[in-house]
Amino acid sequence: MAGMELLSDQGFRTDGRKPNELRRIRFKKGVFKQADGSAYLEQGNTKVLAAVYGPHEIRGSKGKALHDKLLINCQYSMATFSTQDRKRRPRGDRKSQEMTMHLKQTFNAVVLTELFPKVQLDIYVEVLQSDGGNYCASVNAATLALIDAGIPMKDYVIACSGSFVKDTPIVDINHLEESTAGAEIIVAVLPRFDQIVFIEMNSRLHEDHLSRVMDQVMNGCKDIFNILNQQVKDELCKKAAIDKLVDAG
Amino acid sequence: MLTNKIFIKKTRLGGVMKIVREHYLRDDISCGSMACVKNCQGLEREPLEESPDSDSSLLRKSHYIIPDTNVVLHQIDVLEDPSIKNVIILQTVLDEIRHRSAPVYKRVTEMISSSQKHFYTYCNEFNMNTYVERKPGESANDRNDRAIRKAVGWYSSHLKDAGVLVLLLTNDVENLKYALSKNLNAYTIYDYVKSLSNKTIVDRLANPLNQSISDKNKVLFAEHLGMAEIQKGIRSGKYLQGTILISRENYLEANVSIRDKDQMVFVQGLQNLNRAVNDDVVVIEILPESEWSCPSSMVLAEDEGKDEEDEENRGLNDSEKLIQNKVPRELRQPTGRVVGIVKRNWRQYCGILQPSILKERTRHLFIPAEKRIPKIRIETRQSDALASKRIIVAIDSWPRNSRYPLGHFVRCLGGVGDKDTENEVLLLEHDVPHSNFSEAVLSFLPKMPWTITEEDLKRRRDLRHLDICSVDPPGCTDIDDALHCRSLSNGNFEVGVHIADVSHFIRPGNALDQEAANRGTTVYLTDKRIDMVPDLLSSNLCSLRSGVNRFAFSVLWEMTPQADIISTDFTKSIIDSKASLTYAEAQLKIDDPNASDNLTKSLRGLNHLAKILKKKRLDNGALSLASTEVRFFVDSETNDPIDVQTKELRETNSMVEEFMLLANIAVAEKILKEFPDNALLRRHPSPPVSNFDPLIKAAASKGFKIDVSSGKGLADSLDKAVVPENPYFNTMLRIMTTRCMMQAVYFCSGMLQPMDYLHYGLATPIYTHFTSPIRRYSDIIAHRLLAVSIGADASYPELLEKTKIQSLCNNLNYRHKMAQYAGRASVNLHTHLFFKTRVQDEQGHVLFVRKNALQILIPKYGLEGTVFLNDEGQKTSSLFVYDEEMNTQTAGNVTIHVFDPVIVQLSIDRSNVQHMKLSLKLVKPEIPGFSVPSVKDTSTLSTQEPVGKSAQKKRKMM
Amino acid sequence: MQAGTSSGFAFCLFSATFLFLLSISTYSLDLNKFINMSVDIRLAKSRVVGLDVYHGDDPGNIVTPGDIITADTGFMRGHGTYMSEDCLHSSVAGMVERVNKLVSVRPLKTRYNGEIGDVVIGRIIEVSQKKWRVETHSRMDSILMLSSVNLPGGELRRRSEEDEKMMRNYLKEGDLISAEVQNVMSDGCLSLHTRSLKYGKLGQGTLVKVSPSLVLRRKTHFHNLPVGASIILGNNGYIWICPTEHVEAGETGGYETNLQPVSRSEREAIARLRNCVLALADQNVLLFDTSILYTFEASQKYAVKDILKPEVILEVVDLVQQRLELEGS
Repeated sequence: MAGMELLSDQGFRTDGRKPNELRRIRFKKGVFKQADGSAYLEQGNTKVLAAVYGPHEIRGSKGKALHDKLLINCQYSMATFSTQDRKRRPRGDRKSQEMTMHLKQTFNAVVLTELFPKVQLDIYVEVLQSDGGNYCASVNAATLALIDAGIPMKDYVIACSGSFVKDTPIVDINHLEESTAGAEIIVAVLPRFDQIVFIEMNSRLHEDHLSRVMDQVMNGCKDIFNILNQQVKDELCKKAAIDKLVDAG
Repeated sequence: MLTNKIFIKKTRLGGVMKIVREHYLRDDISCGSMACVKNCQGLEREPLEESPDSDSSLLRKSHYIIPDTNVVLHQIDVLEDPSIKNVIILQTVLDEIRHRSAPVYKRVTEMISSSQKHFYTYCNEFNMNTYVERKPGESANDRNDRAIRKAVGWYSSHLKDAGVLVLLLTNDVENLKYALSKNLNAYTIYDYVKSLSNKTIVDRLANPLNQSISDKNKVLFAEHLGMAEIQKGIRSGKYLQGTILISRENYLEANVSIRDKDQMVFVQGLQNLNRAVNDDVVVIEILPESEWSCPSSMVLAEDEGKDEEDEENRGLNDSEKLIQNKVPRELRQPTGRVVGIVKRNWRQYCGILQPSILKERTRHLFIPAEKRIPKIRIETRQSDALASKRIIVAIDSWPRNSRYPLGHFVRCLGGVGDKDTENEVLLLEHDVPHSNFSEAVLSFLPKMPWTITEEDLKRRRDLRHLDICSVDPPGCTDIDDALHCRSLSNGNFEVGVHIADVSHFIRPGNALDQEAANRGTTVYLTDKRIDMVPDLLSSNLCSLRSGVNRFAFSVLWEMTPQADIISTDFTKSIIDSKASLTYAEAQLKIDDPNASDNLTKSLRGLNHLAKILKKKRLDNGALSLASTEVRFFVDSETNDPIDVQTKELRETNSMVEEFMLLANIAVAEKILKEFPDNALLRRHPSPPVSNFDPLIKAAASKGFKIDVSSGKGLADSLDKAVVPENPYFNTMLRIMTTRCMMQAVYFCSGMLQPMDYLHYGLATPIYTHFTSPIRRYSDIIAHRLLAVSIGADASYPELLEKTKIQSLCNNLNYRHKMAQYAGRASVNLHTHLFFKTRVQDEQGHVLFVRKNALQILIPKYGLEGTVFLNDEGQKTSSLFVYDEEMNTQTAGNVTIHVFDPVIVQLSIDRSNVQHMKLSLKLVKPEIPGFSVPSVKDTSTLSTQEPVGKSAQKKRKMM
Repeated sequence: MQAGTSSGFAFCLFSATFLFLLSISTYSLDLNKFINMSVDIRLAKSRVVGLDVYHGDDPGNIVTPGDIITADTGFMRGHGTYMSEDCLHSSVAGMVERVNKLVSVRPLKTRYNGEIGDVVIGRIIEVSQKKWRVETHSRMDSILMLSSVNLPGGELRRRSEEDEKMMRNYLKEGDLISAEVQNVMSDGCLSLHTRSLKYGKLGQGTLVKVSPSLVLRRKTHFHNLPVGASIILGNNGYIWICPTEHVEAGETGGYETNLQPVSRSEREAIARLRNCVLALADQNVLLFDTSILYTFEASQKYAVKDILKPEVILEVVDLVQQRLELEGS
């Protein structure tokens, strides 16, 4: 088979998107009854479940507790059936551990940890289906789960990936693009503050292109944020409408 | 705006794999027509014309054409005809073409980007109105056909109000039927093309696949297996897959190099070859051992004289009989037969029409110039016009009942023997891309008049004040290197090598870059140059001509007077060459005691340092090998060569060469350090000792011992091997040494161990090409790598991926080799033209003694030729006795050794129109019954006269 | 519904992956019914999805994390807000509430933030030196000091070493209690007391857990509903439904549990109440005696086991809301 053409001469990507277009995003908050907060999120074919437990008393050894702030505990795992080849270990392998670390750092930066000394917050992320942008979907899902749990945060954290093909930056890359294109840039931002909390690039990209890709990715983050925020607000409005009745009564 | 379709894409062999990919369907894709009244968010200028002229007698209304995949694939020659315009290429079609044929894909994309052709790509797969999902049980092809019909249907309803029709061109009967039943305008390409008023286009039609099957039932070949059976057979080991290589000597024999194995399987006979054409990927079955065979020593070429009907009737068995002789058991090789064809690698072939007895017939046989390709049957009405022309033909199919493949006429190159035509043939046969640069490529050229901007000045070091000059062969217009040298206050020298900054103009990934990458190298023919990059760059903007500001990539050294390097610096720069000198002019300046201008000083300094550098290099064990290069003096009017001369070497040649080597090595080191995994380097593997056997033997016959254990030893022992009375002895030894060498190749550093980076010939552990970016693509890559490593330019993903670099290297190696072959073939061609009117005696030396021939070097022309000792026709083989031990041939009392001086007579053997040969006949030493009398001795007017006549004629014409 | 963390995870994981929604309604009060138990299983496709697109007006007080509530510096920072760059931002998604100068944001769902005087239901998880640790859905375990309970006998006296040894006899791990928040420590830890006779160990009944924010703060959280059952609406979102006690068991201090069999009608009433509470919680309706009672009444036409079917929930809760609205206006 001839090599895949990631960006056709007509300006379409392999799945019919334009370079600056995101995949379809759908999510649902509160999918678990038992967890304090949870969310299920689809970014195209990448499907992620996130659950938040806590803040609660430190589990295990009390020594882990931080005397002045919240301890965030993350676990990233990929379902054995999430990838093309069946995964042997859903978690605990190098990649998952790295991802766990990244998630932990990301959320430490945004959760108002100083409000909860000596307690612990668990964030569990499970990738059900992986089609590129696992980290991004995980961050976005976990953000929603945290909002669902009512954990105070500085802002949303929104992550988006991007790459550079045929002299054009592309955003929200899927697995095919991830594996065929050159460098992949992953950025997690606080959309309302334009602050970057996490950035990663997995291979070399010349700095001249970097700003163009970054701009595009930041735009992607903003777009994702608008989608998520709109739906979160809509849900709240519905609830507020109900509450008003009661308050009146 | 987006809808989402998720579909199961494919299952792979060995374990079913379900691949799910998203597929977004859109509603914002423009129809691409100027006539559109539906306002579909398109561009201001759409590619399809508003009211295209209708030329067809089938329907008089203006219309657009939508061809299906097979029409594009097989009838690309028709589509390329200028009279075909306003064509909609569907995405479905384009994708299929991409997978099935890269060359056709390239041609289609070129047409799409051309503004004259009015081609438009419609992304029907991404449009929600035209996307179709594969139904259960439907084959991929049927689905695609349906998709095409759906798109045609959409277009016709979309453009209904615009007054433009849309026609589907398909050759598939089913597809046509379905389309007509849906009230679409559909025709076969044959009907359509024949209805056009332009009649010459009909010849470019490819043969319909099923045309001749019905008329004759005679089946000559076994059926090819289907893909499923082939795959099953390969997995079970019953069949083997490989590329077929037809023997050059015998078109009925071939070897198949088995994929993934270091094995060759022999295939013999037309039946066993079963319609495989050279280079096809085939599947073979090994025959039982009792039927194994071996290559016959016979040279077998298809006879040209016979009438085609005869051959048709003769069938296949005659030729089979020729081969079915008993083969001794020990000589037998694994032999197989072709059972299926995985991939045809047909291309277009050059050749001539076989003269036909019946002039009126439209069916003709075509004889390709390449001996490994079978004759091709074509249909043409212009056989008279094409009779003595070189033409290009493409194969369409090879049905089971035809002895020859069926093809169609593509275009005419020109008359046989015409130099331009022959040049064209030569280029085509060596797969040298030489078409004019397409519009898409030219669109990436800088706009003229080109000026240097402030921005450029800021980014580059200004070296315009330096006394830089270039030294090149006379008549060179693509000057890619220039030099300077000046003394510094501390007594050291600053030496600069300035290379044209081509990578500034050729940006990665664009059409210009892709074209250059594909061409790989500029090809120099004796009288013509096939540029790698468009003329504007090669001869103007990139050429470091004197007196103009040019961008350069400079390597600057500080050197001691002993030529020790103190520091190396790389920089993008801007230079102003003070003079473009030839080697001879430069030499004159250096030698002229009166000249003392800066330029001359600079040259002297360079020359001085170069000598030291060269000595160092040779001391290191670098080889200086001889190859003979010739130069033709060409008649300015007729362009026919009037004299040949071997190229002269001057001190200045080696001066320039020395600094180029130095720059290349410096760059290689720098880029390897920065990019250990993906640097493009050049290596020259040390040859295995056994390669040197003929050299050692030959030298030994003159009493010299050649040390081949190391490069240094070899160089030293070559230097010592001098016979005073035979000045060519040493040169010949060096020529022989060259033959023992391996090919130098480009490679990507990540693919090999560092110890394999060695360049044997130059005795340097690492080497690359940096100094000729105008004419070699490898140098452009080296430039880009270097630019990235000094932070002067941006990298891009392909540059950093070692597999991409390696595949680029593979192409460059191939192109490089082909360019060399083409160059040699061009010299041959000119030699032939030169000797066309001459018969001459020349002094020569025996270079090799073979079993049935002597190889003779003629130093005057730098020619090498073969004197056959036992002419097959004459059966005089008993005259000579070959002594394998001593490597001599003896006839009577004359013994011919290697290096013996001889006199040979040169003339042209014209027995074969397509393959003229230079024939050598022995004049001295005289051997009765074999040698011929000298031209001068006999002074037969018959041979002299034609020369005189033609010369007179020439004068008259002037 | 008291599945452990991991199994709850697995359950939803299952549902999301294979797109099944299993809603199982079982009532095991009657053995016969238990044997003939029917399980209601439906595909996720047929799930009634309250579409999340909101068509009404923006009420104006909805904020999400990071939103600027006000740039006015005259306000005091309350829960769910933080200051950054001289602006008051929201840190959670919810509704802005202003009490005088205090601005706070109440999220839809959160852990229980205790306040002094709140009625809570909790479960003993550990017995340690002079205190019990109680799980109250707060972010830290709450503490019930030995000194803050009424001891059997009722008289107030110094706690002796004897009492410390007897602690497990009064309350052991797993016991449920009702209590009042006595104090909130600096780190957010709650200390409880059961000094009043209405607090103490809980006997037979059923516990329902909902989000704390759904429980409306009222004067009283103990209700003897006229349907034959009592309900304690813990401020921490734990709701206790039990048969109404006719005899005041004051003398024992609540340490003796009444193990008398509960009549069928009472059990049915309890089960119906439980499902009503869950139905209201599902629709995010605030819980207080009236809303629960109305739901109970509106659900009468359905069998107890059917109340939690999604379409029934919608219908019943809708009726209740209309009724509340009617009365409110």
